[in-house]
Amino acid sequence: MPNETITRVQIRMYRMGTGDCFVLKFFSGTKIAFKMMIDAGVWQKGKDHIEPFVKDLKKYVNNKVDVLVVTHEHMDHVLAFQRCKDLFTQGFEVKQVWMGWTEEDGDPKVEKWKKNHGEKKKALAMSAHFLDRAVNSMDFREQFNGHRYADQMLSLRDNQASVIGDFAELNTDFEQNLGVDKVYKGAMEGMRIVKEDMNVDGFRYFKPGRVIKNHPGANGLKFYVLGPPELHDTVEKEAGGPGESFEHSHNMEDHRAFSEALQMQDQAEIPSSKLPFDEKFIYTDDSEESAKIGNLELLDPWDERKQTVREKYEADTWRKIDYDWLYSSGNLALRMNSLTNNLSLALAIEFESTGQVLLFPGDAEFGSWSSWHNIDWGNEQDPNKKHLTEDLLNRTIFYKVAHHMSHNGTAERLGLDMMTDPKLTAMATLDYDVISSGWKNTMPNKFILNDLLLKTKGRLIFSNETGIPYDKQMSLTDKIAQTREKMDSTEKADFESNFKSDPNGLFHELTIRF
Amino acid sequence: MKITATKNPDFRHLRAYAFDPSLSLQIDTAKINRITYMIDWEDLHPGPCGEYVEVIDYDPTIGRFYTPVDLNDRPILADNGLRPSVSNPQFHQQMVYAVAMVTIQNFERALGRKIIWSPRLTNDDNYEEYVPKLRIHPHALREANAFYSPYRKALLFGYFNSTPANNVIHMPNSLVFTCLSHDVISHEVTHAILDGIHREYNNPTNPDMLAFHEAFADIVALFQHFTHPEVLRHEIANTRGNLGSQNLLGKLAQELGSAIGGYGSLRDAIGQVNEATGEWQPREPNSDDYQNVTQPHERGSILVAAIFEAFLTIYESRIADLLRIATNGTGVLEEGEIHPDLANRLANEASKSAKHVLNMCIRALDYCPPVDITFGDYLRAIITADIDLMKEDAWDYRLAFIDAFRKRGIYPRTIKTLSIETLSYDAVDLSLDRSGQQLQPLFVQSKYETKFDDNSTQLIEIIIDFLQDYAKEIQYITDRKEIYEITKNYIAGSYGDSERFVKGLHHRIKVKFMHSQVFSEMTGLAFMPTYSNLGFRTAGDRNFPSFQIQNLRVVSRVGPDGQKVNHVVFSIIQKSGCRADPNGNISHFIPDSEALLNDDDFIFYGGCTLIFDLDSKELKYSINKPLLDIEELKRNNTVIDKKRVLAQQRYQYHDMALHMGEARRYFGTRASDFMFTEPFAILHQH
Repeated sequence: MPNETITRVQIRMYRMGTGDCFVLKFFSGTKIAFKMMIDAGVWQKGKDHIEPFVKDLKKYVNNKVDVLVVTHEHMDHVLAFQRCKDLFTQGFEVKQVWMGWTEEDGDPKVEKWKKNHGEKKKALAMSAHFLDRAVNSMDFREQFNGHRYADQMLSLRDNQASVIGDFAELNTDFEQNLGVDKVYKGAMEGMRIVKEDMNVDGFRYFKPGRVIKNHPGANGLKFYVLGPPELHDTVEKEAGGPGESFEHSHNMEDHRAFSEALQMQDQAEIPSSKLPFDEKFIYTDDSEESAKIGNLELLDPWDERKQTVREKYEADTWRKIDYDWLYSSGNLALRMNSLTNNLSLALAIEFESTGQVLLFPGDAEFGSWSSWHNIDWGNEQDPNKKHLTEDLLNRTIFYKVAHHMSHNGTAERLGLDMMTDPKLTAMATLDYDVISSGWKNTMPNKFILNDLLLKTKGRLIFSNETGIPYDKQMSLTDKIAQTREKMDSTEKADFESNFKSDPNGLFHELTIRF
Repeated sequence: MKITATKNPDFRHLRAYAFDPSLSLQIDTAKINRITYMIDWEDLHPGPCGEYVEVIDYDPTIGRFYTPVDLNDRPILADNGLRPSVSNPQFHQQMVYAVAMVTIQNFERALGRKIIWSPRLTNDDNYEEYVPKLRIHPHALREANAFYSPYRKALLFGYFNSTPANNVIHMPNSLVFTCLSHDVISHEVTHAILDGIHREYNNPTNPDMLAFHEAFADIVALFQHFTHPEVLRHEIANTRGNLGSQNLLGKLAQELGSAIGGYGSLRDAIGQVNEATGEWQPREPNSDDYQNVTQPHERGSILVAAIFEAFLTIYESRIADLLRIATNGTGVLEEGEIHPDLANRLANEASKSAKHVLNMCIRALDYCPPVDITFGDYLRAIITADIDLMKEDAWDYRLAFIDAFRKRGIYPRTIKTLSIETLSYDAVDLSLDRSGQQLQPLFVQSKYETKFDDNSTQLIEIIIDFLQDYAKEIQYITDRKEIYEITKNYIAGSYGDSERFVKGLHHRIKVKFMHSQVFSEMTGLAFMPTYSNLGFRTAGDRNFPSFQIQNLRVVSRVGPDGQKVNHVVFSIIQKSGCRADPNGNISHFIPDSEALLNDDDFIFYGGCTLIFDLDSKELKYSINKPLLDIEELKRNNTVIDKKRVLAQQRYQYHDMALHMGEARRYFGTRASDFMFTEPFAILHQH
């Protein structure tokens, strides 16, 4: 079999919804040489929805893949493993699973970090739970009674709570980690199934800078590992400064105090060690009574002082603050989300003969993108040439758009700007019919969309464009069609012959020849 | 009135951290971190709960109350309050109370009237409800954040575990309380006060609105520090040789804000420490800043930097003589410590300059338009307010402001040249002293060259008479609720002593100016029944476009040179339902409530602040954000001010989404919803 160099690849994007599931089938001539699967997830769908896709996928790869890449632990990348557990654990073989180094269980550094990370996940799950309970309670709704804009206030808070709930679900696998009263169970079920239950010959965990050459079957292919970054502080950097990305943001904050408070909810007794102040400062009914009695004799009967602080607080429902603090979880949700995205195993797949590159960054955000440019590529790097990462980006002809084309999914100066190959084609796993509610506000990002439309001349393929507006006048479908007019006749012919969609709507498929 | 045997003291002295607890752990700053505030005496209940604020120390994260401090407790009273302590929540209660009151008092002194919190909007016939006290919850959140909730009329402070960059200052894992930082407290109280004065300012209709709220709050926090000479004296005495006092104050300003979270971030625009020399140096202002910087915090920092520079210029000119004396004209100080008298004098000058700047910034609020403020409007307000109070500007304060703003590219878009004269609002100059020339029709030029006919002039005179009654009635009233009620009655009308309904200002304006094109031209608002098709809700049976009167107030001040200001000010606000198609064509709908049915619909705000001089009986200024195109109006065309509509639309539907952080994008969708969320909570999470 050696020397049967790869000459062609079929990239299949399964259209389950917003979420990634790709199969790359590499051919040497007409012979299948190497099969690679990347992720299998979608936002919040049941088995019925997912099963047809998985069945088709199994048929397509003939129940066997050489490499399964699981980029990161988010529902929209691993849910299918959980929902279709039987299909994946029975009659399905995986030679190797590839994951980021942060998934290597047993590594003490990873374990320590995971524990901390798990605490945050749990806090997010719990706060989403409490928030949900709160917004559905009578107390909560009563707070706004009598206000001129009560309805608007309520509906915005409902919406905010549901977005937080969605983030919690995306990150923490609600069903099994409902946090409350239960112990945090760790990884999402889909991830666990891949690691423990599936029929896998071997696992490999990669650090950035690693180059995989001569992988069995993958003759003429090189896999460059770009992310996840090696340092956790880089992982935590979601976004760069102005001009560095489409968004600039902040670093991860400490949420320990918040998490601790969540764990004490629903507990009648709080151990004094968990109180922020010495127990003697806690206001008890005794002190309330004595305060009252102590003051009474001095006072007019209608004097305000008769009212204790507690009574003042209880008096006005609209001023009560019992639930406001739970909204801090919004911050936590966003940060957790970005952080896990930055743990994505990001790969650049190079065809050695032509130097062309397929880029699969998972959902990497700015912190990861920027770290790629500091990778020490060792012998791979010609010291007299530009940095290899930049070179790889220059040669990219296929880009799996990170994070469903959100604002911080693709770096600007250190990413998109460097993708200069005129042959660029891109696929984005975005589907407004199957998506988390908050995401529609941020996906697709207008800048990235425009930039990609321009660079690909409309060879920009979405899981499902239906219902996505380009702007007020035009749908995304029309805009893409309009942009495709810019291709010259050869480009057009090429694209039409290389791109096909499954008539049953299960997948889009793109063929690239070398 | 209660007659008490003993007179209450004038002040209550309360200890606090001058900055925040972290400075007390460093030997060189521990000394200046202690401060004892003098707060006007008021009767306090445990909490402390007073007339303006009530501290309710309920911690919802654990569902517990902390025992409220009783500042009248004898041992506490005798010792100027509890001693600063991180671990005693009662001290926290004392500190938030003290700093909040100091801030309120600074505002009251500058404005010359009582602070009233923004009312609660109700869905009954009263429309709104008086809120006597701002609530302060010192331990309400578990995050590095604190915010003013316009809905609850409350300040919520957070606490969190420190993740120290510097283990020396914060013990790792120890709790950090935002309610122990002077800057955080005064910042949040200022949000609340500003909301009470201009309640439309948390409605983001242009990129400056939210930035202004943030910047203004930071300016108050910053200059409040500098009004205490003790802090400055210590720093000045520590400088040897080079009295580059500019840098000293800049560095100090920045350090003061940096201790907790992002609160100092607005001040980073002032300058930075040069890594090569280790010296602090001011950042060179860039005239493109105002054009290019859009994120609310960064944009706010431009305003902070501009005002800080104005302050430095003023301070410099005030101490020039002292430096000459101290250095025998050489400009170089002798080796060794500065003479304590000199340090004192310098500190006093800095403190005085800070007080002046703070007062100028606060007073300007009365000269701002009620909606859609820009930094340029604010600059005009500062200049106009100052001219009204001080004819002579001996130290060139006004120039210092103009210059600092100009360097950052901030100037009002409507004026052609930049000078004190063009920046100050033109007086409407509608003299009502018509003795001897009653038959002569008056054609007096206003800002928009509106021709005032005799009729309008008389109408305005009637309004001024009414306002004079108001000023007289309110003059000696100190009870805030009474002030609120009387003011409300003067706006909406009420039953007087004789059981007869006395019509209010709202009705009078409606009746008097119902068909007044002149008034429409002057205010830029719709006062003609025929205008109702421009998206105005109409009131009454005559299709009169509805409008709102806000913020009726008496401005009574005496300047340092004895110049008196005796004004009555109120604002008129009008809303129009607009939608604009991509080609910029505007159509209208009638806004029935704030809930917008269509995603493209938005409410376009116009407003006008009218300032009447009671002494000369004239309408002095009309500071407007027009709804109608005034130029067209003069040609008898009634059209909406298209430029402003499109500007608001562009900002709310396009730019704002880009300027705000990702939290806004995920959690709140539309600009029009902003005020229904917790606007300041979101702003502070950056």
